[in-house]
Amino acid sequence: MDRGDTTGPIVQVRRRVKASAEQIFDLWTKPELMVRWMSPFPGAVDCKASCDLRPGGAFSLAMSSGESRREVSGTYVQIDRPHKLVFTWIGPLTNNVNTLVTVELTPRGDETDLVLTHERLPTPAIVEGHTRGWGHILDHLAEAVSQDSSL
Amino acid sequence: MLEIEARKEAASRTARLDAVFAALADPTRRAIIERLSRSEARVTEIAEPFPMSLNAVSKHIRVLEASGMVERHRKGRDHILSINTHWLDEVDGWTVRMRRYWGERLDAMERLLRELKKDHKSRRKDRKRGSR
Repeated sequence: MDRGDTTGPIVQVRRRVKASAEQIFDLWTKPELMVRWMSPFPGAVDCKASCDLRPGGAFSLAMSSGESRREVSGTYVQIDRPHKLVFTWIGPLTNNVNTLVTVELTPRGDETDLVLTHERLPTPAIVEGHTRGWGHILDHLAEAVSQDSSL
Repeated sequence: MLEIEARKEAASRTARLDAVFAALADPTRRAIIERLSRSEARVTEIAEPFPMSLNAVSKHIRVLEASGMVERHRKGRDHILSINTHWLDEVDGWTVRMRRYWGERLDAMERLLRELKKDHKSRRKDRKRGSR
């Protein structure tokens, strides 16, 4: 996937995972499974997840461990079980700016290739579609456009 | 008070990063950054390889200056451009941090998959035993 000419820096991670695409997709989208691996805190963690799994629906993860607390949230953009999941993602780790995460799953026999793409907004990926109801993203786009119009 | 200062710091850092990413979204500006990463250069030298007017290139350079990635100083009548690597380090910091973060999360995901598989197997065994 070469989108080098159209976006800022992108982080991409690839894995071959010993599980079916359906099983992996559920780990990403079922709150009772999300809380079991998404928290970055070691040891005992109180993790609460909620998700409204539909395009435009919101999800959030609230994690706490001792004194530390962290919250991440986002909005689903595309849900295509078990092939593709796209959502916005905002939290302390993203400096509290909106970012876009795409998880693509391709079955390889008993295993599944997982490609995770994490990109900062604004990006043309957003311009291509799926812009309804996205206050944050539109704000970022507006910023980008106003910056570009100074050209 | 300290918390407000920290929040202001984070907000301005975010604004700076956004300006950097917006600046990098354009191929001409990325080419200028690439050229300047080799050595500092005069504005006219930078403009030369591009099939556009000096004026058009100058506008791109101004966007890069506004983002803080490029600095300008004067040597006699020449305007010399150079890269402020501090900003590039900040961008790299983000990608390095995120790559490590996702690597660790996917490790955790695979650990959970192994756990679930084990649970599944032992549940099946239990069921078999129960039916006997």
